[in-house]
Amino acid sequence: MTSATIRLDDVTKTFDGRVLAVDGVTLDIAAGEFFSLLGPSGCGKTTSLRMIAGFELPDSGRVHVAGRDITDLPVHKRDMGMVFQSYALFPHRTVAENVAFGLRMREVPKPDIERRVKAALAQVALTGLEERKPGQLSGGQQQRVALARALVVEPPVLLCDEPLGALDRKLRQQMQFELKELQKRLGVTLVFVTHDQEEALAMSDRIAVMNHGKVEQVGAPTEIYERPRTRFVADFIGEINILEEAGRARALRPEKIRLVPPAEARVAGTIETANFLGGSTLYRIRAADGRTLLTRETHAGERSPRAPGDPVGLAWSDSDAVALEA
Amino acid sequence: MISRRTLLGTSAVAAATLAAPSILHAQAKTLKITTWGGKWGEIMKATVLPAFEKEFKCTVSADQAFPYVPKLQASPKNDPLYDVLHTNSNEQWNCFTEGLVMQKITAKEAPNVADVYPWAVSDKIVGVAIFTSAIGLGFRTDKGLAKPTSWKDLADPKLAGARGSYIIPVNSLGQCHLMMLGKIYGKGLQDLDAAYKALEQLKPIKLVDFTGQMEKMLLSGEVSMGVIHDSGVYRYDGQNQPVDFASPSEGVMALEQVLNVTPGSKVKELAFGYIDYMLRPDTQKLLAEGVWYSPANKKVKLDAKYDAKLLTTEAKVATLIQPDWKWYNARKEDIDARVTKILKG
Amino acid sequence: MSAPLQTIRNKQPFDAGRAAYLTLNGLLLAFLLAPIAIVLAFALNPTPYISFPPVGVSLRWFEKFFRTPEFTNALLLSLWIAGCVLVLSIVIGGACALALARGNLPGRSFLTAFFMSPLMLPAILTGLALFQSYLLVGIGRPVWGLILAHTLVAVPYVIRTTLAVLHNFDRRIEEAAAVLGASPTRVFFEVTLPLIRPGVFAGGVFAFIVSFDQFPVSLFLVVPKGETLPVVLFNYMKFDLDGAIAAASMVSILLALSVVLVLERLIGLKAYVKL
Repeated sequence: MTSATIRLDDVTKTFDGRVLAVDGVTLDIAAGEFFSLLGPSGCGKTTSLRMIAGFELPDSGRVHVAGRDITDLPVHKRDMGMVFQSYALFPHRTVAENVAFGLRMREVPKPDIERRVKAALAQVALTGLEERKPGQLSGGQQQRVALARALVVEPPVLLCDEPLGALDRKLRQQMQFELKELQKRLGVTLVFVTHDQEEALAMSDRIAVMNHGKVEQVGAPTEIYERPRTRFVADFIGEINILEEAGRARALRPEKIRLVPPAEARVAGTIETANFLGGSTLYRIRAADGRTLLTRETHAGERSPRAPGDPVGLAWSDSDAVALEA
Repeated sequence: MISRRTLLGTSAVAAATLAAPSILHAQAKTLKITTWGGKWGEIMKATVLPAFEKEFKCTVSADQAFPYVPKLQASPKNDPLYDVLHTNSNEQWNCFTEGLVMQKITAKEAPNVADVYPWAVSDKIVGVAIFTSAIGLGFRTDKGLAKPTSWKDLADPKLAGARGSYIIPVNSLGQCHLMMLGKIYGKGLQDLDAAYKALEQLKPIKLVDFTGQMEKMLLSGEVSMGVIHDSGVYRYDGQNQPVDFASPSEGVMALEQVLNVTPGSKVKELAFGYIDYMLRPDTQKLLAEGVWYSPANKKVKLDAKYDAKLLTTEAKVATLIQPDWKWYNARKEDIDARVTKILKG
Repeated sequence: MSAPLQTIRNKQPFDAGRAAYLTLNGLLLAFLLAPIAIVLAFALNPTPYISFPPVGVSLRWFEKFFRTPEFTNALLLSLWIAGCVLVLSIVIGGACALALARGNLPGRSFLTAFFMSPLMLPAILTGLALFQSYLLVGIGRPVWGLILAHTLVAVPYVIRTTLAVLHNFDRRIEEAAAVLGASPTRVFFEVTLPLIRPGVFAGGVFAFIVSFDQFPVSLFLVVPKGETLPVVLFNYMKFDLDGAIAAASMVSILLALSVVLVLERLIGLKAYVKL
């Protein structure tokens, strides 16, 4: 399968001439990359995706795919695949007809359509459900049909708009693995819109964190997590302690704080709450100087029982406290 | 004005001597009329109109769909929807006041008018009446009731709830009845105060919209006595129904079938010809015996069965009381408001 | 629909509220069906007048209905007109609804109200106004004029039902088709049209019945020998109030019902769209 680069070049979009949905976004997505647009609702991630698909026209800026300016190309000529949160299956058509739709539009000969539909359904483990209508399928099955329908045309670019958002947690995790695996196998460039930071971290090659129509940071999951550039990114992804030191804000992940005997402590305090999370426990600690700090203790060996009210000492190394942009 | 016969003679000569187009033109003439449905309509469509079309070399477009007057009112005066308006006298008066129909049809336009009874061309008529019914009392013969002799018999307490009349604002028989109440309980047809008082006394009374419903109520026994026109009862003659018609001694009200011509008609001579045709003794006899209407033409000789019951002599015709619709229509709104109030309780 | 009721029944063996609910529904149903039952009783009653209770069963009024050319011609005319109205109003009403829902037209709510206005106007006035307009223009009262008049009052029904479907329409479905390579025209015929079809045809059934039963609009617009069934019945009633009227009503009801059933079979009125 082919894949293509995507470039958004200083793209801006306003709605009703007032709301600035996307504000000067520039992104370079590599061919074959699993790229996530991550942010809270209204951050402009979906609008950016829809501009790549061609549903929205940017007010200014250009959209390039495979080096070609497609800003003014209508949707149906862009040759992309897309999976919607609501799946958007054709309710009046069978599973097979849904999957065949894109091939029909491309005037693929009938025997080829049958063969490729069969293969695509096998790929998403839906063999045998060809004649069902979407309304007769479970959410997860519909999801797979949507995926098969998008991929059967072998698009160089697959756009996913919160495709797993409607699934329950267990199924979502399973689909995350499957989607990731499928994307790697096919080599397709995948742009994935989500507000779920765990999902983005788990699946993406790179993530663009968006806020108020702007890209705050682009980077690999580890980079985004460990070296957040802005207070927003640090705060949006996982738990964080923001330390104000000498007029400079620093971000410190809870797991970088160690619980130590008071003598070795950088800061002393008492446990306010202890949230047992299974693999770890998250403590909220009231420091002597009045600050509240979060710390995570993983339970590799014997779990040391601590309870609210216990006095503790906290320690961390300066290199783990990441300086944030003002 | 040339007479119809002269005109026909002339056109016959013309048809014989002139080229084909004028014949086509003569044949293409259409006479637009209104006419009743029911048995009347059947006779008209089966016999009268085809014969007329043949004789006058025209086609007749007969509208049997109510309401005629609003349709006529809504159509342009210089190109009216109808050439001949057939309707009851009260509506003719309305149309006349609005200039939609002519005042009189005389023997000059339709020679047979010379042979009609005075009621058909009286000052209570615009256009010309071709038939009349007698509005009197219909009653059940199987309820131990004596044949009514007076309009006052309807007020018999035994008939409470079993007497019938009409919703006065929408039915001319009801309006006639109201005027009659003024005459028998007060100073005359126009004594409305007496009529209102008498109407109050008739409650409880069953009221219907149109005469067909009254016929059915009599037939089904829902009412034992009701205001109705003679033809509405006589039409069941021979069907073994326990109903009969009585002409009260105070007189019967006239329910005239009136024909009139619209001033804007483009085929006026044909329209007059139609009216004349409807007044011909044979047409009159056919329709009179078909629907039990009393003919306007004095020369009509009905079969004995019909002759015995319909108004076919000067003496019988003298019992007819013709309402003054011009007078009534001028006060209709007030009367409607008043009677609605009386009958609501 | 029945599932929640089922649960309630299982939980509570007797529930006064539910009993009242069922009684009320039963009464409503009886109220709706009683006129039909009475008409049927009249149609089968052999007496020459409408009487209650009926004294027997006969088909003489049905025979009279089908033996009278005035009735049968009017019935055929009414069916033909209603058929034309059905086709015209689904095309016009469907297009209007699409334009209203999708057109980004300025003053959309005003336009919607405007298209609905034939429903607000007393139909008798619509008929009278059209009658006068036709006479003024000088076209007389052709059958297509009557069809047009019926269409005018039928279109709002199609607009309403189609708008209801469009209102709940997930436009992502159309977008999905577009991404898959369908041009706007193909999107319309492959996706939009099939999905709004139940709404359009549900409106079409209304349109058919509105036309088939139409009396006030027809009153002024029918011509001699070109009267629709309701007008013929109305005029017939003024002179002969017998069981033929009831027989005609039964025939009308059955015909309207069978048209609905046939349409349901052919096109499938039940919406497979999740509304």
